[in-house]
Parts: sequence; structure tokens; C-alpha cells
Amino acid sequence: MVTREDVENIALLSKLFVPEEELDGLTKSMQEIIDFADAINNAPASAEGFDNINNLSNVFREDEVVPSYPVAEILKNAPEQAEDHFLVRNRE
Amino acid sequence: MNYELVSGFETHIELSTKTKIFCGCTTQFGGEPNSHCCPVCIGLPGTLPVLNKEVVRFAVKAGLAVHGKIAEVAKMDRKNYCYPDLAKAYQISQLYAPLIIGGYIELSNGRKIRLHHIHIEEDAGKLIHQHGDTYVDYNRGGVPLIEIVSEPDIRSIDEAKEYVEKLQQVMRWVGISDCKMQEGSMRCDVNISVRPAGSEAFGTRTEIKNMNSITNIARAMAYEYERQVDLLESGGKVIQETLRFDDASGTTSPMRSKEDAHDYRYFRDPDLVTINVPRDEVERLRAEMPELPAEKRERYEAEYGIPEKDAALLTKYRRISEYFDKAIEGVKSPKTVSNFIIGQIFRRVETEADKEIFDVAVTPERLNELVRLLDSGKIRNNLAKSTLEKMLDTGKGALDFISESDMGGVDDSALLALCQAAVAGNPKAVEDFKSGKEKAIKALVGNVMKNSRGKADAVAAEAKIKELILS
Repeated sequence: MVTREDVENIALLSKLFVPEEELDGLTKSMQEIIDFADAINNAPASAEGFDNINNLSNVFREDEVVPSYPVAEILKNAPEQAEDHFLVRNRE
Repeated sequence: MNYELVSGFETHIELSTKTKIFCGCTTQFGGEPNSHCCPVCIGLPGTLPVLNKEVVRFAVKAGLAVHGKIAEVAKMDRKNYCYPDLAKAYQISQLYAPLIIGGYIELSNGRKIRLHHIHIEEDAGKLIHQHGDTYVDYNRGGVPLIEIVSEPDIRSIDEAKEYVEKLQQVMRWVGISDCKMQEGSMRCDVNISVRPAGSEAFGTRTEIKNMNSITNIARAMAYEYERQVDLLESGGKVIQETLRFDDASGTTSPMRSKEDAHDYRYFRDPDLVTINVPRDEVERLRAEMPELPAEKRERYEAEYGIPEKDAALLTKYRRISEYFDKAIEGVKSPKTVSNFIIGQIFRRVETEADKEIFDVAVTPERLNELVRLLDSGKIRNNLAKSTLEKMLDTGKGALDFISESDMGGVDDSALLALCQAAVAGNPKAVEDFKSGKEKAIKALVGNVMKNSRGKADAVAAEAKIKELILS
């Protein structure tokens, strides 16, 4: 059973703020999601079978240097940046 | 009450592959911020990580170096946590099926520190905290690491120091990492608890994160041991928590409450396929492994009669042992070679950094030539020593300093003549010796050695001089 405390804990780990009035609704939704996942888990198939559905192994890359991207490209999607760094503001 | 220290280590070592673990960006240390990055290592959606083959090879070598078992099947997992040093909000690591299982590091007291496993994973980015904000550089993000997880087998600070030193030595030896603690290519998390001496049950442990020098590991452990003992003695309880060590004050303080493993919500990474290390590949790598320092040290002792302490010095760095191996080829007394290296040559390479590189002016072939001259009786020890000094000064060979006339011994009649001359020419030393100053004889022997250009047998000369004076 998913509890309000579970939702609060997950919110904490995910760095999400959940308003008090949304907790009950989210607890119910999360229970439905878990039930759905349980339905899949209960399907008659072994976990091994899902573990590696393409039956692939040992896909490797050789240890050869490929040029990196220009710094400007790397930082393009950063919400904030400064001095060629991604900038994370302290929200407190 | 006496308390026993119990400790286990988690050691991160950066592998010296050319590229990152899942993309072709360089692993070079430093560089302009975010200049060694691509969409894979900054975790953009829709990118696909592909495992660097060399990372698997290096990890297998690490496993073989510590007598671990190479898993037949290994898998990559996602370790979820939300912090700016990880762009994807998860680190690709191994939990359920690590590459190496078991193994050990043997200490000089004969105890084996067992290893639980070694896994491969990606390093996180570097965070710079400034004016309350955080600046993120992902150059280090995706650099390959191995994490070596020991069992809680360490029982003292000395054992902990030796464990780290041995690990560092063997990983450098097999060439998978430079293990520079000051540059962060080797970092330790130290788990530590105490229990009443004789007790079997473990106490509650704390974990000191990110230790980057052996000195600080020792300081932090000493502080934490005292703190935990004091807590228990005063009726308190140790709380399981993660600590940081403050270099300036020498104390530990809590970092954050310890997250349980399930909080990381580990699960199989669907982007990365199963790793099956073929057995023939493992055997090929095993065959390529150099003789390990511990094996070499034992062989030097058993085969060449080199004292344990000297054998340890010769095997501390791979280059020194390779130098020694070349220099002893075909010589009668490897111990003489060892003495030359540890004595005269070490005086020229004083720092640990220099010893590791071991770039010596005299090539091992030239040292070999000098020792062969000594072996064959053509020159005596004194001459060999002074010649080695000249060779170290100039990088030239022994025969540049020793002429044919220096070679060969001094026969009995020549020795007698030299001794007579020494006695006749140094009446003061003779008087001193007669009046009981034993040491005065050294001056007379020195005179003989000098006039024979080091060719005389010093022991025979001393006996002959005593005979002359006392007769």
C-alpha cells in the first residue's frame, strides 16, 4: 500500500515540493501506477527474459578519442550559466 | 574497557583510459571548464552510452592484481540520486552483477584484507561552491572509475595505511591508474566502528567520505575512533551517518543522513547490454600480467637472499624492480647490485616521485658491467664504489674510469711493500695504535688502499700492518 509518507519521501528524494492539499490525490494516483506495474510483474514470464530482450551482449566502443563539443554548444540548454560553467542557484 | 577498531574501505580509482567510459571525450585532467564534454556525458535525453572496451580490460587487470574472480556475466545499473554533479540524475554503476568478485590485499603482518567486489562506474562532475551558488564543470563526468569495496577486515590505523599503500602500489604496477590521491584519481571512503575488545558483533559504523591523502585517513580514523569510544564510554550511542573530515581542525562532522540503498532505486540500465568477459580473453590478460610486487619481493628474498626490507624497497615501484632485474643478469651476487641501488643510487633519487620514475644516469646495463668486474675479482669493492659515484655524475661506463692497470689484485710481496711504506711513512698513526687507539690502524689501511688505487684487499692489508707493528 502506498502511504502519504511514501509520497512525501519520494518527493523529498526527487527534490519536488508537493503542497499538502495534493498529497491525497497523488497517493491514490501512485497506488494506481504501482497496481499497473504489479499487473505486468504478475504476467507469466521470467524476469530473465525481460532482462536482455534483444539477446545482445558485449557491445563495446574502442578507446579512441573523438573531439568534444564546443563549450557554447554544451552550455546551450543550461537554464543558467556563468564563466563557462552550468550555474545552479541556491534557492534557500 | 578496551575497544577494537573495525574498518572497511571503499576506494575509487580513476582508470587511465584515453576516453570516458561511455563516450569518446578525453579523460585528460584539467582543461577549460566543460570543454571535454558531449551530449552523452552531460546526460542529454536521447543519447546512447556505449561502453569503452578498455574499461572492461583495465577492470579485469585490477581484479587479477588482487586475486579476484572475474564474473562470467556483468551488468550495468542506474543509481538514482538528484544532485547537480550528475546531469542525468543517475549514475551508471554496478550493483547486482559487478565485474569482479572477491579478492584480497595481503598485509605485511600476514593478514588478508578481503575484498567484497570491484565494480565499474562513471565519475561525477566537479562542483565549485561560490557566493552560495554552485558552478558545475562536467569534464570529469563520465571518467571511468573502479570502486574497490573491502570487507570490514581492517583492525588498526596502521593496517588501513598499509592497505591503501598496497592497493595504490599494485594498481600503478599493473598500469591501470596513476592513483594520485592529491589529484583525486584515488579517493577513499572510510567506514569505521568500534567494539569492546574480544566482542564478535560489529558496532554501529560511520562513513568518512572522500579522503584524499593517507595522512588525513590516519588523522580522521584516530579522531573518529576516539569520538566513538568517548560516546560509548559516556553511555551514548553512535549514530550511523556520513561524515566529512575537516583538514584544518582535524575533526569529523556530519554531512547528511545516510541514505539507504533502496533510496537510490537501483535498477538495470536498459541502455547497456550484458557484459560477458570471454574466458580466453581473461586468460590472455592473465598471461600478460607482470609479476606482482608481492610475488617479486618473495622471490628476491628466496632466490637472491636479499633481506626483506631491501626486497620491499626494490619492489616498491615497478621501474626500480625492472632496473634491478636488468642489472643482475648473469651476476654472481644480486645482493651487491641491490646494495648499490639502495645505497649509492637511492641517494641520487631522493623523492618518492623520482623513485617512481627512476630515471638514473647509470643504465642497468652499465651497473651490470661494473658488478661483473667486481665479481671477476678484477676490481675491489672500494674502487667499484668510487667508480659508481663517477658514473652517476657523468652517465659514463665503468671502463671510462678504470684502466687495465687498475685491474687485477695486489700480490703478497707488493702488499707487503705497500704496508711497510705505510708504517714507515706514518709514525704518528703507528704510535697511536701502539698506545691503544685501535682506530688509528684505519689511517694506515687507507694509505695502502690509496697507493694501490683501491686494488689491495683491505682486510689482508689490516692484518699485515698489525703484524708489522706488533712484531
